[in-house]
Amino acid sequence: MSDLDKAISELRACKIIPEPQVREICHKARELLIEEANVVQVDAPVTICGDIHGQFHDLMELFRVGGDVPDTNYLFMGDFVDRGFYSLESFLLLLCLKVRYPDRITLIRGNHESRQITTVYGFYDECLRKYGSANVWRYCCEVFDYLALGALVLGTSSTLEPSFTDQSQAIEPVDDDVEIEIMNSRNEVTARFPRSRRRLFESDGLNSSPPGTPSKTGPSGTGATSDSGGSHHSGGAVLCVHGGLSPLIDSVDKIRLLDRKQEVPHEGAMCDLLWSDPDEIDTWGLSPRGAGFLFGPEIVKRFNHLNDLSLIARAHQLVMEGFKEMFDSSIVTVWSAPNYCYRCGNVAAILELGEDTSNGGVISRSNGDAGRSVQAFTPNLAPRSGPGRRYRVFEAAPQDPRGMPAKKPVADYFL
Amino acid sequence: MSASQIPNLNTLRNARGRGRGWGHPGTVSSLPTGSEEDNFAKDKVVQQTDQDASVSRLSAVETGYLDDPFAKYFVSGEGQRRFPIINRGTYVRTKAIDNLVNEFLSKDPAQEKQIVSLGAGSDTRFFRLMSRRPVPHGRGILQRPNVIYHEIDFQANTTQKLHPIKTFSELRGHVGSPVSFSHSTNSSEIYNDDTLHADQYHVHPVDLRNLDPSRPAPHGFNFIDTALPTLIISECCLCYLAPAAADTVVRYFTQHLFPNTTPVGLILYEPIHPNDPFGKVMVSNLAARGIVLQTLKKYGSLEAQAARMKSYGLESTGGASVKDFWDKGVEEKEKERVAGLEMVDEVEEWDLLAGHYCVAWGWRGGPEDNVWEGWKMMAEKLCRN
Repeated sequence: MSDLDKAISELRACKIIPEPQVREICHKARELLIEEANVVQVDAPVTICGDIHGQFHDLMELFRVGGDVPDTNYLFMGDFVDRGFYSLESFLLLLCLKVRYPDRITLIRGNHESRQITTVYGFYDECLRKYGSANVWRYCCEVFDYLALGALVLGTSSTLEPSFTDQSQAIEPVDDDVEIEIMNSRNEVTARFPRSRRRLFESDGLNSSPPGTPSKTGPSGTGATSDSGGSHHSGGAVLCVHGGLSPLIDSVDKIRLLDRKQEVPHEGAMCDLLWSDPDEIDTWGLSPRGAGFLFGPEIVKRFNHLNDLSLIARAHQLVMEGFKEMFDSSIVTVWSAPNYCYRCGNVAAILELGEDTSNGGVISRSNGDAGRSVQAFTPNLAPRSGPGRRYRVFEAAPQDPRGMPAKKPVADYFL
Repeated sequence: MSASQIPNLNTLRNARGRGRGWGHPGTVSSLPTGSEEDNFAKDKVVQQTDQDASVSRLSAVETGYLDDPFAKYFVSGEGQRRFPIINRGTYVRTKAIDNLVNEFLSKDPAQEKQIVSLGAGSDTRFFRLMSRRPVPHGRGILQRPNVIYHEIDFQANTTQKLHPIKTFSELRGHVGSPVSFSHSTNSSEIYNDDTLHADQYHVHPVDLRNLDPSRPAPHGFNFIDTALPTLIISECCLCYLAPAAADTVVRYFTQHLFPNTTPVGLILYEPIHPNDPFGKVMVSNLAARGIVLQTLKKYGSLEAQAARMKSYGLESTGGASVKDFWDKGVEEKEKERVAGLEMVDEVEEWDLLAGHYCVAWGWRGGPEDNVWEGWKMMAEKLCRN
């Protein structure tokens, strides 16, 4: 067993690894990350994950629900650290997996992957507590500076492949018409949303979920993105960023031009990509977070159209149901930290995008390229067909049934 | 998170006696009797919530949210920096109650008034009021108020409170003289004084659960002037009692001690909404710390709190969640100042957490004394959509 595999197995057991090894892994990770573009290109199939925030046991639950690395391709949209009690173990495990299986796992930067934020929200203190010095924190922060700012998922399918199932279960084909499927952590389908019946939902006035599905697990705005699944099978390109859009960025190419290898600035395009949130407003608004902006549906639809994107996937905001589609499914929030901060009572989700095999595996490279912006933009132009989306919803990992482990997380309240 | 400020659960477990589990969340409260040891441990957990609150207060002061030069004297040991949303929560709750207190005191300022703070613990409000230099307030000026201030708490907490008051002239100077410190049960224990009586300030070592109209009032209660317009404050105190016991405490004041003719107001700061996902986790997390919010189920909404006030004979009510206070009760300029103190990345969490705490107020007394006018305005401002 190589040292790296040993480290992975230690970390999987939630044990920290020696400081010199952390240093070495961080060094290797930086060598890998420095080669990546600001916007990493990722081929479907891929499973997209939102915030983790040091909730190590829930990350293990995520891998149980979504499949292990390297069997499943993963894209983590940042915020690996802070808030939870195991930021170190969580981030170092992801980093080791990145070094071990660089093509199987993509890590992009969240607003918490920053020196300033980690000193307020716990990662710095955790490093100090577990290693007795800030060295490991420093190594990790140097890695943060090299993380990509976004990813572009290409080669997605507009339809859903059957989910992997137990041997005992018969594989049930998924109707081509299904655009969204929601599964629970026991691999059971809890809801399906077909494309062609979108109008039906809308005429029912249901912007959340169709009759018969649990109302609490339904995403808001699961209206499909296209008039019909039709004969084409490409689900289009999906841009993944931690926060969202920036008024300074009107094309994916502009993201590619940023100088990312630095601490997250307090303002500017790079800051906005990591801090902004979608909101029901006309255009742009001030963010209550004190960094980034709020952006409305027209901004998203225009950006997606100009950049030939079918969807923006982002994280950053706690959503009680684990995921939330907004603005006619032009953007989705994916949140992967169940019972966030051991306090919020929310469920978590991951988003699976399947691979389009209809074209012999050849992926159209035009997606996400600039150039379309020269065309006239018609605001009411129908958005392009979205990818088939499977959301796996899961709850917090069970706590030690024997009682109170010494490190039982304690949440703060106003007492 | 601030684990080091949380009581060590294992030591508490030992204190509860051997071989006894923690019980399930929710069942602890339904046990009216238990061994003495058991009840002692439960009380201790509740008493220790005061240190939690005072550490939070100091954190909010040191981060610039609150101006309170007295907070540091009441934190034993190291202070600890809290997360931004906890700081903001401490700020909003303090401001909300300050506003109500100020409205009460500033109406007819020549009229002497009275405040009774239940489970006051290490609260600094008395010192903040007494150290006040005249500041503009609305159309008038906020002065050092003409008020008699009573604090009532467990003996363990009053003993802890008096220690810094005796030690630091910065505190003692505001108590005024003459002042008498004493011990309620053993006069030779001068180092553990638990009782304070001064002209404007009284600290009573009284277990609220012992207040009973059929029994003689505790010794120091003769200092309570039952004719003065009086404000009763319970800042996360009555919620730890069984609902019936909490009701008995309030009625002891509103119906037994004070005649109907005395204007009486009540401010409650308590958690609400125990039944949604956040509320359920809150109840079970606190239960794991041995903290049971006993009134939460019965008084789990603003509507229930308003009905509760009426049942105490306080016909007029107001109430708002901590989130509402932040959204509608803090001036834009001040909000900007506070938002600028720390980068708050916990926006969604704030909405959840702040939505689960409320400040409710109710009052009685005629319009002739006008003392509740500000309370009425606050109710109208905050409860309007």
